[in-house]
Amino acid sequence: MESELIPIGEAAIRLGVSIDTLRRWDESGKLRATRKSPGGNRYYSEKDIDIFLHDLFRMAFEWATNLEPTEIPSNFYCQDSSIFQARLIKMQGNLAKISSASKILSLLVAIAGEIGNNSFDHNLGNWPDKPGVFFGYDVNKGDIVLADRGLGILKTLQRVRPGLNNHKDSLRVAFTEMVSGRAPEERGNGLKFVRKVIVENPISLRFQSGDAEFLIPKESQELNIKGSSQPLRGCIALIQF
Amino acid sequence: MNIKLKKFGTTLTSRQAGKEAFAAFQPSLGKISEQEDILIDFEEVVTFSPSWGDEFLTPLANLFGERLKLMRSENPSVKTSLEIIEESNMMKFHIVNVDQRL
Repeated sequence: MESELIPIGEAAIRLGVSIDTLRRWDESGKLRATRKSPGGNRYYSEKDIDIFLHDLFRMAFEWATNLEPTEIPSNFYCQDSSIFQARLIKMQGNLAKISSASKILSLLVAIAGEIGNNSFDHNLGNWPDKPGVFFGYDVNKGDIVLADRGLGILKTLQRVRPGLNNHKDSLRVAFTEMVSGRAPEERGNGLKFVRKVIVENPISLRFQSGDAEFLIPKESQELNIKGSSQPLRGCIALIQF
Repeated sequence: MNIKLKKFGTTLTSRQAGKEAFAAFQPSLGKISEQEDILIDFEEVVTFSPSWGDEFLTPLANLFGERLKLMRSENPSVKTSLEIIEESNMMKFHIVNVDQRL
């Protein structure tokens, strides 16, 4: 219906991207506009924008895997750790309104914080192209998505475990083995914490770095690391509760 | 000395923020007498992570040993974070009940 259509300028504001980006997305098919007359102005249906914004994992995966960094809605992009921290606190406030999440609220914020801060801590000064993380969530759907275009787990872990030579082993070490010794870089055990929280609570985690990925389903201790069909240099995580 | 962590915020999550909190607290270290216990109070902290805790609690544990005491908290992020910090540093925190507040 025509009443559901909004002009490109308003769509750009809602999505947090430029009008030029929306034009490019229309041409590439990523987010199609409609026109009231041939060659006329672009309009967007509110429903299409909602669907686009709610498909967080796909949006994050595309951003993390594209050869060149693309623009993403500004609401989801944290250029530095202070922006990430502010948005983490905002998510904490939003989660507090969801009664079903009350028992695990602090754990959800803590694991999202560990994954996001891990990206900043281990890529500081070494971001290959676009610094920062994608951080999006839908508390009603129970999804939290984090991604980065950093060096990935293998390369950052090789600084303290030079013998590591593949992504699968690096994920296993990062999520299961205590990495002792803080030289030559401070390396915490945040991802071990993440796994502990996941296996002890009704939370699932899908995680990928390089060409390795795993899914720990809810109420499961399984860490079945396998190869990925589409590798990415950095990391992506989907937390579901 | 009683350290209320809520003075550093209620969402204590990053390694950087933990370092800054410890740096801010350092001037107070000189005021602690040789026999005095340090009691960490988690009251009103909403979210606590092992990265923050490792930067703040681990150096205190190294400095004060058995004199560092942590007030028992039912917050699941505090409990799980302390377990991870203990395991990664091969140490055990001295947990005390709330009624033992100094």
